[in-house]
Amino acid sequence: MTRTRKPGISRRSTLALMGAGAVTFAAPWVARAQVKTIKIGMPTILSGRVAQLGTSSRNAVMLEVEKVNAAGGLAGRQIEMVIRDSKGQPQEAARIARELVNTDGCEMLLDGEASSGSFAVHEVARDLGVLCIHTCSEASSLTADPKQHIPNAFRCVRQGIHDSIVGASYAAGIAKTKGLKKWATCSPDYAYGRDTTGEFVLYLKKFAPDVEIISESWPKLFQPDYTEVVTKILQAKPQALYSCLWGGDLTSYIDQANIYAMFTQMEVFAVNMADYTALTVVKNLPKGIHSGDRYIKTFPPTPENAAWGDAYKAKYNEYPTNWSWQNATAVMFLNEAVKKANSTDGKKVAEALTGLTIKCPFGADGTVTMRADDHTLVGYAIGWGTTIPQEPYVPDVKAGDWKTIFELEAEWKKSKGYT
Amino acid sequence: MTELQAGQGAQTLAPPRIDARPQRYRDVLIALVAFVVLALLPMMFGSKQLLDFVIRCAAYGLFATSLNLLVGYTGLISFGHGMFFGLGAYGFGLMMQKTGVPIPVAFVATLAITCVVAVVIGAICVRLKEIYFAFVTLAFQMLIHSTILSWQSLTGGDQGLRGGIPRPPFLGIDLSNHLHLYITSCALLVIGLLLMRQIAQSPFGYTLRMIRDNATRASFIGIDVWRAKLTIFVLAALFAATGGMIMALFVSGAYPEFAYWTISGEGIFINMLGGVTTFLGPMVGTVLLLILNDTVTRLTEYHGIVLGIVILFFAIGLRKGLMDFVVEWFAQRRGEGRG
Repeated sequence: MTRTRKPGISRRSTLALMGAGAVTFAAPWVARAQVKTIKIGMPTILSGRVAQLGTSSRNAVMLEVEKVNAAGGLAGRQIEMVIRDSKGQPQEAARIARELVNTDGCEMLLDGEASSGSFAVHEVARDLGVLCIHTCSEASSLTADPKQHIPNAFRCVRQGIHDSIVGASYAAGIAKTKGLKKWATCSPDYAYGRDTTGEFVLYLKKFAPDVEIISESWPKLFQPDYTEVVTKILQAKPQALYSCLWGGDLTSYIDQANIYAMFTQMEVFAVNMADYTALTVVKNLPKGIHSGDRYIKTFPPTPENAAWGDAYKAKYNEYPTNWSWQNATAVMFLNEAVKKANSTDGKKVAEALTGLTIKCPFGADGTVTMRADDHTLVGYAIGWGTTIPQEPYVPDVKAGDWKTIFELEAEWKKSKGYT
Repeated sequence: MTELQAGQGAQTLAPPRIDARPQRYRDVLIALVAFVVLALLPMMFGSKQLLDFVIRCAAYGLFATSLNLLVGYTGLISFGHGMFFGLGAYGFGLMMQKTGVPIPVAFVATLAITCVVAVVIGAICVRLKEIYFAFVTLAFQMLIHSTILSWQSLTGGDQGLRGGIPRPPFLGIDLSNHLHLYITSCALLVIGLLLMRQIAQSPFGYTLRMIRDNATRASFIGIDVWRAKLTIFVLAALFAATGGMIMALFVSGAYPEFAYWTISGEGIFINMLGGVTTFLGPMVGTVLLLILNDTVTRLTEYHGIVLGIVILFFAIGLRKGLMDFVVEWFAQRRGEGRG
């Protein structure tokens, strides 16, 4: 008996076709699974009074992430950023950070929170063991206090104590040259304002012992009217004024103090002036305000920094902020640490990050370092200069000396009982 | 008419006493069922986000329901109830960080501190009515908030209590374990709601309703209005502080934002969403607000506009909270059915 072949497709060819089909359809999935994207979560402040800073953080991160992705991603995995608004509330920051890791599957966190929010995210990092880089909180205790130390958290931000040391050494130089002995202070009444001012005065007196503080003003954070503060300072007749007011508070203060011609009557040292968010908003920017650099594309005076500032401006039609360069640097650090570890595993990346030095447009000598002992950023460009009313706003910035910063920072840590 | 005659008249006119016990048993039964369902949730769904959500619901739910004891039951619109939420979080956090006492001791001690503070603040505030009461409570809240900011050596100022809250295990419960924290929060929520329900349904609860509707009349029939108001003010503060303690455990810290007016604002917002005429209204409002918050903030950063539109819908469209609306709708349907 001969078997006659039925017309149509045989079972064998059907199976072969199905197999081929399955391979064809599955191939992209398999390929995608092999180069799975890596999700990085970022809670930051995108609404409320400091939304501009949160938005500028997001912009900077996206600018750098696009570059990393174009170059092949983190160890071959494309980065997908998941950025959410915490509204500046610590409980929301904690919730979002947990959600980003537990539900959205983020393998790393960039913490774009300020002040209390960063401490809340730090606790989440402690609890979940996820790699976390703080990118906005300047509170020194976040990394200086050994109680806060966890192996998986880093801080890629400038620090209050560094600013105070550089600021005081610069101000003492001017005080000696111009004979400025009577000083007044005017800073916002919360931990940052009190700490930063206290440290500035401490080091100012260390560098210029004959300086005397004759008036202190502590306006409330986000205070709309500074008349009483301005008149109080004018009545005290100091030769110089120090202020760490920032953002909208600083610009309101300058606009209101301008009415009383305050800036012609004393030397003013405002650490947070040299940031485009303040420089471009003040109606009549007085000439000769001394300020620390926050972000300015002319300092450090390198083509890399200028190019970065211009690229940001070209993409977002505004200048970067202090938070921008810090967030960009965090992405640069991640990229280099993953290359060094040759892995995206959080623990291995954390090990690679510890003590890592990378090339960076914002470095004082073209590099920045993630210091091994306390997981914090050092070697960034830090300096002081005086303002002019038009671009480049702070034409000549005098760079701070990192050797002095390290010496005095070590003393400060000892005095606080941190070491 | 002599007093004796009046008394006799009152006796004959008095309605028959309703035995409250069956209702109490029913409430306890519902609470038990609710707790069992909540406790089984982690076994049914493995989502950590769900557990986080329920823990936050417990914190805000206790806070909002306690606010409703003032707003809905007594007619005291407090704009400063958040101060007790913050006080609970800070009291508990500080106690655990500084003294290292067992958790139950810190819990009770925090309640004791809250009680003392609430008695002092309440004694001043409850003498006032309406807008004056609202504003003085708000002023006290800002005073406590400013104290937290300024007393940096104790509270850490605007950076909050740092370094995490230690949680030594007690009676086999380890609150650093997520599941244990979840079950404990659920237990506190259910017990808290049950206690508040008993307060609301007790003769004291009905006294409060009378004060809300006509305080002058209440004082004419011999009720010490000031004492009743102060009692409920303090009791509500204790439940709000419990909510604050759950939140402190959830975020492992305490932050000045917990005692800021925006927390009180959220409490009022939750009450408006859920409704103030039913006991569970604020709890429903809490779930609604948290779901709205969590989903809307995921989708857009313009969440303020969305939440604003929702509250406008409830305030102008429904003119009441969701539970008020649902209860009225049921009552209407039942009425129609009978008719």
